[in-house]
Amino acid sequence: MAMEPLLRIGVLFLFLHLSVLVNSSPSHHLQIINAERRIDLTSHIIKVYLTLKVENLGTSPTSEVRLAFSPAEAEHLAVVKAAVTTGKRKKKTYVPLDVKPVGPPDGPNGTKFFSVTLLTPLGKGETTTLEVLYILTHSLEPFPVEISQSESQLVYFRDSAILLSPYHVKQQTTFIKTPRSRVESFTVVEPTKRAGTELKYGPYDDHTPYSYSPVLVHFENNNPFAVVEELEREIEISHWGSIQVIERYRLTHAGARHKGVFSRVEYQTRSGASGVSSFKHLLAKLPPRVHSVYYRDEIGNISSSHLRKDFLKSELEFEPRYPLFGGWKSTFLIGYGLPLQDFLFESPDGKRYLNFTYGCPLSDTVVDKLIIKVVLPEGSKDPAAVIPFQVDQHLETKYSYLDIVGRTVVVLEKKNVVPEHNIPFQVYYNFNPIFMLAEPLMLASVFFLLFAASVAYLHVDLSIRKS
Amino acid sequence: MAPKAIASPIPDSLYPTLSVFTLAIGLILTASFFIYEATSSRKTRNLTQELATGAVASVFLGFGSLFLLLASGVYV
Repeated sequence: MAMEPLLRIGVLFLFLHLSVLVNSSPSHHLQIINAERRIDLTSHIIKVYLTLKVENLGTSPTSEVRLAFSPAEAEHLAVVKAAVTTGKRKKKTYVPLDVKPVGPPDGPNGTKFFSVTLLTPLGKGETTTLEVLYILTHSLEPFPVEISQSESQLVYFRDSAILLSPYHVKQQTTFIKTPRSRVESFTVVEPTKRAGTELKYGPYDDHTPYSYSPVLVHFENNNPFAVVEELEREIEISHWGSIQVIERYRLTHAGARHKGVFSRVEYQTRSGASGVSSFKHLLAKLPPRVHSVYYRDEIGNISSSHLRKDFLKSELEFEPRYPLFGGWKSTFLIGYGLPLQDFLFESPDGKRYLNFTYGCPLSDTVVDKLIIKVVLPEGSKDPAAVIPFQVDQHLETKYSYLDIVGRTVVVLEKKNVVPEHNIPFQVYYNFNPIFMLAEPLMLASVFFLLFAASVAYLHVDLSIRKS
Repeated sequence: MAPKAIASPIPDSLYPTLSVFTLAIGLILTASFFIYEATSSRKTRNLTQELATGAVASVFLGFGSLFLLLASGVYV
């Protein structure tokens, strides 16, 4: 009997040992022959294009390639996409690959992993080329933290000159593209070269797994740091022929905070030199055939907006009530109607579904928290949302015009949304068209009650004296 | 099978016209209902006729007011 606990512990250790082996196995077999990283810092949304040439040195085929991110990067990571290139030169096509975050255990110093699943397992001695795109938000730190109206905005960007990777990297180069040629300072990790708007780190040879060499680039970036702290989009479906969208924005300028006074005269007369980091124009891309567009805030209608419509899209160009400087905020709402037949479809199994675009209609904008509310018509059942990425979902009930039991609302919440998230999503539901008659019958019965009341009044004798 | 787009049962450009006509018919029927109520005495009144006129008028007024709501942009 005394042997049994010992045996159990032994089995446990064996399992632990096995899991360690499984987790550490990818780093031993793979090697990156060549890594090229292009970091685009022209806007406040940082795009990193990574080209990896991976070779399998091990004996067993593997279909998993891991990408590593430092904890700071992982926190601000909005999108990670990977693709494999097939064909040569002009016939090059990109096949998207599945990318999944890998749970604990993390790597050394809290390194977070993402796992890329290859289409076909990589055999012994074979190589493949991966194209990875990842997007970082809120990763440019303004320095100085506060600037006056006439100053231009300088920011810090922190990264590593050497690619953080769980694999041995044979050769690598990093290119950093800044918006303007004004670069105050940058860390030199030989060989480092700067030409115009481009900084080149590398080529570096033979770096062991998890090598890291921090670099700091201090440069000018006057692009609008438009951040929507919270955006609530309410999409209300009416089977009587319309989809009504209301978007509530809480916009902020996330760049260097404004210091001192704001001079409207200086801002207006020297528009090229004054308030260069501020912004006053915003562009929202709306679907085609949009109608009844309105743009207002708590005070009332804001008249400074223009709508251009064509067959492919509608563009709403609008100005907030005041130009936005660093740290300033603006709250407003945009509403519009859309024709039902463009967005609502019936699937072959008889279900109805809404096909709408996720994300924020504003161009070049980060949304810290995006809440999409799809208000289904009264009487819809079994709502189910189909979205290509992870979101928080829950259901609510909303009461609108002529509602008795309330409308089912599918709420989809996501943090850290960038323009790359503007992809279609679907909400499926069951709906019996007979429920459409509920509203007119409700109105008709109210009128009928009125008539019945007058009939009853004229038929009942309320007089005390007999006639 | 390709997904089929769902449109409204009545083209939404027809809503203003429809609301004018159905409301007009509904109001005429309402008027005839009240004229009947006022002109007939308690003994000559026919309950089925009263209720029938009222029912038809309320259906027209009900749909008319719905179309009016839809035409004015309140999509219920």
